[in-house]
Amino acid sequence: MSAENAAPKILVFSTDIISDPGIDQAGLLKLHYSPSVYTISLPCSSGIKPRWIMRAFEKGFDGVFIAADGHECSYSPKCSEYTNKIIEQTQEMMREKNINPKRIRMAALCSVCAESFVSHMGNFSKILAELGSIQSEISVSQ
Amino acid sequence: MKQRIGVYICHCGGNISDYVDVQQLGKLMAKEDGVVISKDVMFACSDSTQKEIEQDIKEKQLDAIVVASCSPKLHTHTFRGVAIRAGLNPYNYTQVNVREQCSWAHSDRPMDATIKAYGLIRAGINRVAHSEALESIEIEAQKAVAVIGAGIAGLRAALDLARMGNQVYLIEKEDKVGGRVLTAGKLFSSGENGKDVIEQLVRQIKQMTNIQLFTNATLGKVSGSVGNYYMDVNVNGELLKLHVGSVLVTTGFDFYSPGEGEYGFNMSDRVMSLQDFNMLVEGSNGQLMHNGQPVKTIAYIYCVGNRQSKGENKYCSRQCCTAAIHSSLNVHEKFKGVKAFHLYRDIRTYGKHELLYEESSRKGDIYIRFDEKEPPVVEIKNGKPFITVKDYLTSKKELTLDADLVVLVTGMVPRSDSTQISELLKIPIGNDKFFNEVHPKLKPVETVIKGIYIGGACQGPKNISESVQSALSGAAKINSISRKGSIKPEPIVARVDADICAWCNKCAEVCEFDAVKPIESSGKMIAEINISTCTGCGICAPVCPVNAIEIAYFTDNEIESMIDGFAEPADIAPREEVKETASTGQSKSLAGYPKIWRTIAGAMDDKTLTIPEIAGLVNISNHEATWNVMTMNRYGFIEAVGLNDDETHYNYKLKR
Amino acid sequence: MSLDSTTYDALVIGGGIAGQESALNLAEMNYKVLLVEKDVSIGGKMIQLSKVFPTLDCAACITTPKMSETARHPNIRLLTNTDVNEIVKDNGLFHINLTVRPTYVHADLCTGCQLCEEVCPKVIEDKYNSNMVGQKAISIAFSLANPKMAAIDIEQCIKCKKCVKVCAPNAIDFDMQPQNLRVEAKSVVIATGFNLFDAKHKPQYGFGQYPNVINAMQMDRLIAPTRPYNSVLRPSDGKVPDNIAYVLCAGSRDSSIENAEACTNGCANNPICSQICCMYSIKQAQLLMGALPMADITIYYMDIRAFGKGYEEFYMQAKGMGVNFVKGKIAKITEKNDGSADLVLRYEDVTTGKLKEVKHDLVVLSVGVLSDSSITQTFTNQKVEIDNLGFIQSAHELVSPAKTSIEGVFVAGAASGPKDIPDSILSAGAAASEAAGYINNLSAN
Repeated sequence: MSAENAAPKILVFSTDIISDPGIDQAGLLKLHYSPSVYTISLPCSSGIKPRWIMRAFEKGFDGVFIAADGHECSYSPKCSEYTNKIIEQTQEMMREKNINPKRIRMAALCSVCAESFVSHMGNFSKILAELGSIQSEISVSQ
Repeated sequence: MKQRIGVYICHCGGNISDYVDVQQLGKLMAKEDGVVISKDVMFACSDSTQKEIEQDIKEKQLDAIVVASCSPKLHTHTFRGVAIRAGLNPYNYTQVNVREQCSWAHSDRPMDATIKAYGLIRAGINRVAHSEALESIEIEAQKAVAVIGAGIAGLRAALDLARMGNQVYLIEKEDKVGGRVLTAGKLFSSGENGKDVIEQLVRQIKQMTNIQLFTNATLGKVSGSVGNYYMDVNVNGELLKLHVGSVLVTTGFDFYSPGEGEYGFNMSDRVMSLQDFNMLVEGSNGQLMHNGQPVKTIAYIYCVGNRQSKGENKYCSRQCCTAAIHSSLNVHEKFKGVKAFHLYRDIRTYGKHELLYEESSRKGDIYIRFDEKEPPVVEIKNGKPFITVKDYLTSKKELTLDADLVVLVTGMVPRSDSTQISELLKIPIGNDKFFNEVHPKLKPVETVIKGIYIGGACQGPKNISESVQSALSGAAKINSISRKGSIKPEPIVARVDADICAWCNKCAEVCEFDAVKPIESSGKMIAEINISTCTGCGICAPVCPVNAIEIAYFTDNEIESMIDGFAEPADIAPREEVKETASTGQSKSLAGYPKIWRTIAGAMDDKTLTIPEIAGLVNISNHEATWNVMTMNRYGFIEAVGLNDDETHYNYKLKR
Repeated sequence: MSLDSTTYDALVIGGGIAGQESALNLAEMNYKVLLVEKDVSIGGKMIQLSKVFPTLDCAACITTPKMSETARHPNIRLLTNTDVNEIVKDNGLFHINLTVRPTYVHADLCTGCQLCEEVCPKVIEDKYNSNMVGQKAISIAFSLANPKMAAIDIEQCIKCKKCVKVCAPNAIDFDMQPQNLRVEAKSVVIATGFNLFDAKHKPQYGFGQYPNVINAMQMDRLIAPTRPYNSVLRPSDGKVPDNIAYVLCAGSRDSSIENAEACTNGCANNPICSQICCMYSIKQAQLLMGALPMADITIYYMDIRAFGKGYEEFYMQAKGMGVNFVKGKIAKITEKNDGSADLVLRYEDVTTGKLKEVKHDLVVLSVGVLSDSSITQTFTNQKVEIDNLGFIQSAHELVSPAKTSIEGVFVAGAASGPKDIPDSILSAGAAASEAAGYINNLSAN
């Protein structure tokens, strides 16, 4: 493993139609963000299960970012509301395990919002760096 | 678990391999569990590689494949095709994005890009190992359509649906067809008469053997889903049972009915709606008469019951401005010496209708602009309406008018029975109380209930031509279902674990598509997913308190194994030869580029400058400097480094 | 019938939102469609936009999925960079003569990697960004293009062939020739869209003369996430604008264009209302308030025509956000001669009747919609009637809006008159419905 790879490890949940293409745009424009950002694309952010997020923390991810569709979601006008509920529910579970609830974050990301994604990753990385590694809060299995 | 996985890692002619060590990854992935073949390939999407993968699948009896190349948006269909041609289920293939989300995004850090690619590909292998062979299920769809409402939109759509070969049941609650157009008189902008237009359509409909028209017919219970709806229709007291594939709702609108005393309404018969006025004009000959008295002055008051910024009907009904002006022109055409005052807020004769507005102004109609805050006041004095209004076009001067007739240009409102229709068909109603489409651009005639479409003014105010276009759009969507004769929904749908589910209704509550219903199974109630209406969005899965719901292709096993795959530590050896394209600490060469770029670069040197400063240094105009600096920025020679102290301009510097 | 054959159920001309929608509707009905687009990518005007009213959805989010669906639909054959030369109707069938212009890049080989663009030294105008920035002589038209492939502007190329050397799949071919094609179709859908008014023909507004007078399409580019600058900046000097004016009805509701008869493209007297300018200006104003929170935005208007579903509410929202609406027609725009490149707008304030002058540092002309009827000239043995503004004449506006004067030829979108995106989409659906009814009856008889 390279020594410089101490940057916080972030798992991004994106959406197939809108936010994942937005993340692609960042690459296309050669806008750089931390290489310890990994993405899983789903149909809709309101389908993310809290257990998946918990799994990420258990496996050593320092933060989870949800790139939602906001009001552009083609499935439900209440998409943001449902996604927020999932986050709240997960944060409950996180508190029980002494994981800082700030390690989860959501923002709406459009399909060409490349710059916005990069700046979200930058800000979130900073916050996570201040919080320190997830291993300072829980023991991580790999 | 898949045991015979093939992995293909693409160079993309350097786009990936210049940064990511694909050769090393190819070797590493060969050691992963279940992987029987792992290769790096120059262009995964090329014809020859596609054939190579097909051959591997057949010869090595692969049960799953992973392609690590560009974004899944580009070539998922290509490689699904490869799988299908080689006899592999297309859902046993996983695409890993190592270009847009790896080599390009991290071209500044090749070693880290390789480590990330390692995690991404491992996650792909893990996922595909848990993948299932998903099959689409075909559901037969009826080639019959119910059209609800036989106004102009319904009649017209019925005709096209029949021409396209559908059996059409046209259901009208009144005893005659034609809706609002039947009694509208002369129509803008064609000048046709509403009655003639309807009669012509009815004649055409009668010639079609595949349209059945029911008048005095009301909608009853509706069940089923797209392809197969079962509807009860009460026709003159008798029960008719229909089995149709789709439903088009064209129930139209009501006119806003002014309140008691609103602009003098119901206080004098000289205050009337535009519709009643049109009938009066239609019925008068030689001279425009009202109750035996000649009509010489008419005041039209616009936006009645609409654009209420603080009231119920906030929207604009779009066609009323044109309708009122068209009526005024009719009056001038038919009768001499009638003076017209138009009391309006904004004249919205959009598009070609503007020509009518222009003509009316030319004919001497007077336009007085009022503001919603100070609407005109209509008083009835000696049986005659007397209007006071502040004209916003002449410094809010107060004007008084006395008119023989006051015509209230009323807006459109939803049908009084639209709530019932919405409950029967489960279609949602929007903020404006009209039926709501899924999306104004993506799905403007679709409702969240698959197979139920909305056309015409039941979706929102429209003029005749627009109503017809929207209804025909609905007809086009319906015909795509009926011409195929079946629906083949993607197999990515929710599924319920019957052992765990204890029917709590939470999943049904959140489903936007009415796809979850309780059924009895082994002595208890459980949720059942209607796969023809489920969109696989996944909303229902996280709300299940016992985790009984999974979405195919996005199962817990698949997602969690991906997370595990990302987390594996990578043991990557540093690459021997480092490509030049990776950051070398030198600024890119400007040789061969426009001379002005080299001059700009020379002048900038190590400085941080704004565009006017750069322009000053190289002695070109600010405008020319903007264009060149922005283009140099685009191609990576210059970068912006934040605003200057005054926050008026950005600072730029040469990119190293 | 396979897609490679030369007989199609429908020829759709134009790959903007209306053409895509018509083609997709017909293709979904299992009809075989040939979609012809004159540019190197489909997408039309909509793909250039930032966000769209009244939902403020990003235009790309809505239109790119539709573009890829169009490009890969098994029932659609897509020809880009293609001209229609002639359409002859004979015995109920349309005989079509097409030319596919060379892009000098083989579509099936190009991977869209942009290495060629990187090495190309020749900088030319970027039309997609209304020339507010440059691009290379070989480039992908824009980042969301479909098909996503490079093309060479051969007139401006200096033929240094550096691109050939870096192209690993050998996709670049300077010997590529125009390709002539003859096909037949049972029906034709015209979806050729519209021209934006070229504001140079209103010299009193100074467009083309003063760099800080821009048109609304340029502003849409400036606020799009794929924008040419790194922020909303004015073109004269890269300054962050803080006092922006919108001039509505620039080239609409206006019959005073100088030399209107003499000009051919994007300029004509336009007595009608363009239907979209009020709303796109309000949209831009809302987006600008987000992008430049400190900026003042004033919209000079005659009437605000917020007529569609949710539009009035959108207008009210803009007022609530603090966009300044002033009723008045701008008579003249001049640049201040103090070197600031700021502009002075002269107008009559209709509420007071007084002549006023105000200063702004950026002016956006809300340019109108003009017809583009050039396609009608390709119909050589029958005539597609146009109205006196040059829009395709609907044969029966109220009952069959998509029908034209030739049986079997239909019109979709703004080719028949100004339309916003939702109306264009509905009109395209109607054209598909009418065309399908027509084709179905052909085979029945």
